[in-house]
Amino acid sequence: MTSQNRREFIKSAGLVFGSIILFPSCLKNKNNYRFFTSEEALCIIAICEQIIPKDGSPGATDAGVIYYIDNQLSGVFYYDQEIYRNGILYLQKYCEKTYQKPFQQLIPEKQTQLLKILESNQLTETDWPRGKPADFFNRIVGHTMQGFYGSPIHGGNKDYMSFTMLRIDYPLVIGQNRYVSNI
Amino acid sequence: MTNKHVNAIIVGAGASGGVVAKELATSGMSVMLFERGEWPNYDEHPNDELISQRTEVLGSPFGPDPLKNPRVLISKSGERQIVTPISGGYNNNAACVGSGTVSYGAMAWRLMEEDFKLRTVYGHVDGSTLEDWPITYEDLEPCYEKAEWEIGVSGDDTQNPFAPPRNKKQPMPPFEYNHEAKVLCEASKRLGLHPFPIPMLRNSIPYNDRAGCIRNRTCVGFACPVDAKNGTQNTVIPIAIATGNCVLKTGSKVVEIMTNDHGKATGVRYFDQNDKPQIQTADLVVITGAAVETARLLLNSKSKLFPNGLGNNNDWVGRNLMGHAYTAACGLFDYDILDFSGPGATVAWCDFNHHNPGIIGGGLLTNDFNRLPYLYTGMRPPGSAMWGKEHKEFQRSMYHRTARIMGPVQEMPNFEARVTVDSKIKDFWGVPVAALSGEVHPLDYEHCKFLTNKAEEILKEAGAYQTWQNVGGKGGPSGYQHQNGTARMGNDKKTSVVNRYGQVHEIDNLFIADGSIMVNGGGFNPALTIMALGYWVGGYIAKTFATTKFK
Repeated sequence: MTSQNRREFIKSAGLVFGSIILFPSCLKNKNNYRFFTSEEALCIIAICEQIIPKDGSPGATDAGVIYYIDNQLSGVFYYDQEIYRNGILYLQKYCEKTYQKPFQQLIPEKQTQLLKILESNQLTETDWPRGKPADFFNRIVGHTMQGFYGSPIHGGNKDYMSFTMLRIDYPLVIGQNRYVSNI
Repeated sequence: MTNKHVNAIIVGAGASGGVVAKELATSGMSVMLFERGEWPNYDEHPNDELISQRTEVLGSPFGPDPLKNPRVLISKSGERQIVTPISGGYNNNAACVGSGTVSYGAMAWRLMEEDFKLRTVYGHVDGSTLEDWPITYEDLEPCYEKAEWEIGVSGDDTQNPFAPPRNKKQPMPPFEYNHEAKVLCEASKRLGLHPFPIPMLRNSIPYNDRAGCIRNRTCVGFACPVDAKNGTQNTVIPIAIATGNCVLKTGSKVVEIMTNDHGKATGVRYFDQNDKPQIQTADLVVITGAAVETARLLLNSKSKLFPNGLGNNNDWVGRNLMGHAYTAACGLFDYDILDFSGPGATVAWCDFNHHNPGIIGGGLLTNDFNRLPYLYTGMRPPGSAMWGKEHKEFQRSMYHRTARIMGPVQEMPNFEARVTVDSKIKDFWGVPVAALSGEVHPLDYEHCKFLTNKAEEILKEAGAYQTWQNVGGKGGPSGYQHQNGTARMGNDKKTSVVNRYGQVHEIDNLFIADGSIMVNGGGFNPALTIMALGYWVGGYIAKTFATTKFK
């Protein structure tokens, strides 16, 4: 094989493997989540952004709160998986029925209004067959606060952005007994 | 392989167990100190609020393992719910060498003389088993002093007009007030109160060959990165081990105290680090597992002579489970009142411990420990938004501007607040778990309300433009990290579990030395008192063993 041929071979082999092996696996799992499907994640991202909206400083989406929740649901919070999965399903069905759109496509004011309905358990059993809407929503509130204000090592609070907002130094430099200033 | 027989087994290397180990080992006794957890390691869980001993959201950094150690919570209506160390209602105490003394806030309180004789001072209280202790403050005073000097306390009791008498001053000078404390201190003086610096089991100056405190913001709930917080893990336990007489067995879960046909304790059954069942024999056994686990161990140790568990012939083991009814008032200021120097709590008031008409016992007040960002998300005036734009705006603008004064209010002991064992629910090692039940006494709420009103007055006088109350003292079961009362000490065998030296009434070579034997919790954080009880019981054992050997 000439060097030219070898180069051609490697190039074409790469293309072949790229298209046959790698590409289909990307199709199967084309999102970055461990627990959520892409569609589910869009819904949760929208809810989290309602809970901690972007204003003068970053909101839940910027801080990557979805990654915190996703990580924990496939680990420590495994027992909440069903509440999330069912809750998203019920919420989206309700949105499709009432507004002919998924939750994440509603205007923010509508989203707020709907979350207040969840918070006060105002949906019927037909719309929310298992569990209570408030249990679903309050869990997301708690997890969003943890993801936004907790430590970045668990996902969320990207670059300590909530700490910057709160005007606190972080992290502690061990051995030097001081915090890195990020204010 | 059989373990070598020892003089004494100690079950639990926490606030009291570490002290007992040191007292026995330095007297020449051979000691096996069991701890179900491991040595704590700062580097494994640094500065992470979600895995701190105060906010156990994603894990309990100092143990026990959330997956292996369930408990049962029994509601008022009798519903049984399985809980874990990181779910609500578990009443978790750390499981590691040093236990809670690794990560605690480290307040170093002596109880007051009145706390040892509540029945004499206040009389009978309906619905409560309120009683005098069989020992007095004077009995325990030398033990407090030993705890202060050997483990290390910063403080100056001369600034507290309500402090009980002492023979020797605290070994280190007190900490200076942080900004919040300075403001609150001046305001409270205008109200005629008596503020003073909180005594702390923390080095204000280098002490015992360890560094002085660096005022780390993340202090309470964490191990100290410079080892300036004094627990049993960095003081008495290393001394015990250095004698050569004490072996510390970590990762070892004691599940039963064995007794013989003569009613004597002979040793313990335990699962070792590899979860293999083992037996250790000894001349005597000391239990220091904290109120919940100590009661569980006694109740799980059944034999022909003790069919209801050890020390439980009169059904008093596990009874009178107490903690502290925490109560607080919060205030908003129009300037940055917090400076976040750690740990945050620096000023105290003992004006409301005793001698307040209509209040039985009462409790102390202090300014709060630093609240980390997630904990602060739940701290809002009543009626505030708990999510959304308004919640975020409050978080951003008020994080440095919210002061809180709080206190541990003395709970009224209650016979129905208790630890039992649930024979159906087993832990990882197949041992029946503790079940917690019972409500706190109705008076606790009244006492909390009284203290909260006082706390709110101070905040208002200090210039808070808005204040609100979080009144404690309702619901149950009680317990948590200040858990106590489940193996009461007393002179009457019918209404207590141990005598004045922590010796189980029916078994004279079995001792209990932790918070379980406290007759009431006092209106103070109990760590120093539990350490003092370790010196009290340990000192008695060492002295008596030298002559009688408890045979």
